[in-house]
Amino acid sequence: MNVLAWCVAAWLLGVGIYGIVTSRHYVHLIGCMTVCQSATYVLLLGIGFRWGAGAPIFYDHPPGTPAVDPVMQALVLTDIVVSASMTALLLAIALQVHKRRCTLDPQHLRPLRPRE
Amino acid sequence: MGLAHQLTPFAALLPLGVAFLMLALSHWLPPRSADVTSLVVSLGLVVLCGWLAIESLHGPILHWFGAWTPEVSGKPDVMLGIAFSVDPASAAVAAFCALLFAGSFVFAWGYFDKVHAHFHILMLLFLAAMIGFCLTRDLFNLFVWFELMGIAAFALTAYPLGKSSLEGAFNFTVTNALGSFLMLAGVGLLYARTGTLDFVTMGRVIASVPPDPVIAGGFCLLATALLTKAAIVPFHMWLSDAHAVAPSPVSVIFSGVMVSLGLFGLLKLIAMVFAGDAQVMMLVHVVLFWLGVATAVVGGLMAWAQRHLKRLLAFSTIAHLGVMLIAIASVSAIGTEGFLVYLVGHGLVKGTLFMIAGILLARFNSVDELELYGEGRSLWPAGIAMGLAGLLLGGLPWGLLHDATDSVHAGNHGVAGVVAIIVGTALTGAAVLRATGRIFLRWSGVPAVELVAPTEREREKGNRPLWLMLLPCVVMLAIALLPADLAESFLHSAASGLVARVVPHEGGGTLAAAITFALTILIPAASLLRRRPIRKFARRAVEAETAPFYALHVLHSGRVTDYVVWMMVGLAVLAGWLKFG
Amino acid sequence: MNRYWRLVLLAPALVVLAIAAAQVILAMPAFGHPLSQYGTTVNALAPVLRNVSNMVAAVNFDVRAIDTLGEESMLICAVTATVILLRGRRGEDMTECAGKLHGREWLERSDATVLMCRLMATTLFLYGAYVILHGTITPGGGFQGGAIAASSFVLIYLGEGYSVSRDLLHSEVLAAVEGLGGLVFALAAMVPLAFGYAAAQNVLPLGNWKDLYSGGTMVVVNAAVGVAVIGSFGVLLVEFLEETRAPRPGDEDDETREEGA
Repeated sequence: MNVLAWCVAAWLLGVGIYGIVTSRHYVHLIGCMTVCQSATYVLLLGIGFRWGAGAPIFYDHPPGTPAVDPVMQALVLTDIVVSASMTALLLAIALQVHKRRCTLDPQHLRPLRPRE
Repeated sequence: MGLAHQLTPFAALLPLGVAFLMLALSHWLPPRSADVTSLVVSLGLVVLCGWLAIESLHGPILHWFGAWTPEVSGKPDVMLGIAFSVDPASAAVAAFCALLFAGSFVFAWGYFDKVHAHFHILMLLFLAAMIGFCLTRDLFNLFVWFELMGIAAFALTAYPLGKSSLEGAFNFTVTNALGSFLMLAGVGLLYARTGTLDFVTMGRVIASVPPDPVIAGGFCLLATALLTKAAIVPFHMWLSDAHAVAPSPVSVIFSGVMVSLGLFGLLKLIAMVFAGDAQVMMLVHVVLFWLGVATAVVGGLMAWAQRHLKRLLAFSTIAHLGVMLIAIASVSAIGTEGFLVYLVGHGLVKGTLFMIAGILLARFNSVDELELYGEGRSLWPAGIAMGLAGLLLGGLPWGLLHDATDSVHAGNHGVAGVVAIIVGTALTGAAVLRATGRIFLRWSGVPAVELVAPTEREREKGNRPLWLMLLPCVVMLAIALLPADLAESFLHSAASGLVARVVPHEGGGTLAAAITFALTILIPAASLLRRRPIRKFARRAVEAETAPFYALHVLHSGRVTDYVVWMMVGLAVLAGWLKFG
Repeated sequence: MNRYWRLVLLAPALVVLAIAAAQVILAMPAFGHPLSQYGTTVNALAPVLRNVSNMVAAVNFDVRAIDTLGEESMLICAVTATVILLRGRRGEDMTECAGKLHGREWLERSDATVLMCRLMATTLFLYGAYVILHGTITPGGGFQGGAIAASSFVLIYLGEGYSVSRDLLHSEVLAAVEGLGGLVFALAAMVPLAFGYAAAQNVLPLGNWKDLYSGGTMVVVNAAVGVAVIGSFGVLLVEFLEETRAPRPGDEDDETREEGA
């Protein structure tokens, strides 16, 4: 149980990388990037977690109640925004690539091809 | 709490604020106002950061955001807030970033006036991110600026919307975004072990605990991200795609300062956070040194084998980044001094060269060395500038780059380092001189390895007078020709403020410099005198010469999936050396 | 390299990384027992010093406000980038005939869809505003609330169709909203400097604990973030919706852009 969270994070990163490397489609590749990123969510939230503690919101509970680390939660929020920004940007690029090359297979897409 | 303290945050906040204001008014802005505003802001930041650099000579200026000073927590090792910490080196690098942006804005005057000032908004956010990256003292804050820098850069690469620029931007985004995920994981690991995000406190905690796999792992992940940004072998593949296809005013920034900032960030982390961890320092001395050697050699060879001028310059940047990494890996005051001067000197010269490539693009719709054969004669002032820049790049014994290379040699203790610096420097200078000879002087020489290199016709808007485009080139070259001795005492305190370790200086720098410069002249001369191989023996020799370059071309395949594999191999090298080395 | 060679190269790298990862995992601090004093200190101090009950908001908008400013810049930067990448298809002057444009099918909506969308769009927008306003007290805040509120725009498109949604959502207004949100945040960081305080210092009256107005400057910054996120997501939606129509002559493209100069 103690190492499960870390193993999940490592696993997500690993399968994400495998997915990117074997990808046959840009949009699939972008999905795999998101999988890699979820590894960081798991890692950060796991680091902030504390047994028997609640959310760091002191509305119903008075301040002083055990609560998990709010800093890590704030970092994950930033991470989510990063993910959203990056995905929007990559999808926009993929859309334009498709309009110009009519394919999204990474095997066939390479800038500045060598002269035949 | 003096004026400097109050003005420090403006270095990052001002460009952000102006960018947001321009965005809010973007649909109603009069023409050229974005050009004027951006130029004024970047020049103002040059002055501000330069002044901060001088002010901080008396001691670092600390600004705690939100007044969350260390005392607020009431516990000695708990830092709640984020601080900007201004030391002479960081502020000087920030000022240099702003200077390069100012040059780029002049160069691009009116080029980007069609799309609601969006180009300028991105550039100002980019600049703010770089300055924040230089000044911050908080690990997660460093990540935020790193990421903002990345997103602005990805967008600017794709700006021309050509086939190649879109694919180049995609490769750039995927590799660097993957790097930033790894960086965030590294931040998480270090936070888990040290319980803080503040550089100095973290460094204190790391120095006080025994070597720990979590800290070493955190370093490997952070280093992977920063080395990816800095395009160090084997993380370097994206650079030649992105820099070759980005608009030239943007490539000026990319090659001039963005990539070297990755190394500057790495240097700061090594000096401020990891200096107390013997295991990590061994990794820096050994593995980073050899990665630097490999980068300088591969970059030099690949630069020599290009015909697309911007791609040639991109590989030359890679070679010079290798030299800078060799300087960093020595972790010494003299090496740091060399690195700082090298960063500035290289940025100025490389910025100039990309601007000249931009001039060629604007005039002739091509940057292909072979297609442009002899075309450049009417643009002789640009030719003179390019030749001079090529000589500076290849070790002309004059100016900032030469003095910087001397310091790097003095701090470097290994024959491999000396050889790599000579090879990387001479080949890149030689490649630029060969291109200058062909384009501006109609010198011929039968092309060999460069014939098989990838190339493409592209276009850039030529709506500016030649003198306007040449003006920033001339100013930047003039600065690059100054001797580094002018700022000697400033450099000493800037370098020792980061890395105080003194090492015995190696001799032989003068000899190495002489060899480098001789090679820089002889290699292109030999290449430009080349005749078509007629005899069987000569043809064999040419084939044997071309084969290794061809293999390198194949490895730099342009496929993002390959690049990710190489990144993982690089990370495995770092981690594996720690585990088994 | 093809897939085969990539995997041949990747496999040993992943094996080495797995071994290294195992070593790091075994050395990690015990799960559920974090070593850090940072979080507990924030949990102890923020309710006292800032009168807020949501600690995550306290970290985001006060303790580490500069991070959040960078984060918002990132979002705005990405949205601006998307506008640039998809440019030339903004269709600001095409709302008249948009529903009948070539390449875009006009689908008749059922009354039930229209009604539900109108009800849900209003509710969602109000709910988003509620989440933003209560950001310093209960879970939520500018980013989350802004995203909720902006999703009501999708429902407007779904219920009313393209041309009405374009009449309601002007990209210049959305961009202005986005920029103003960011500007207010940047000003909240800069203005205290002029009065001798630290950047982004919380200088407004703090209000009362568990009150709608609690946390001083945090309230302003939180609202600014919410507004900026609404604007950003609105711009994103408009830009991607433009992609659903066929290109027309006169659209700005890479070819015309260079030659038009």
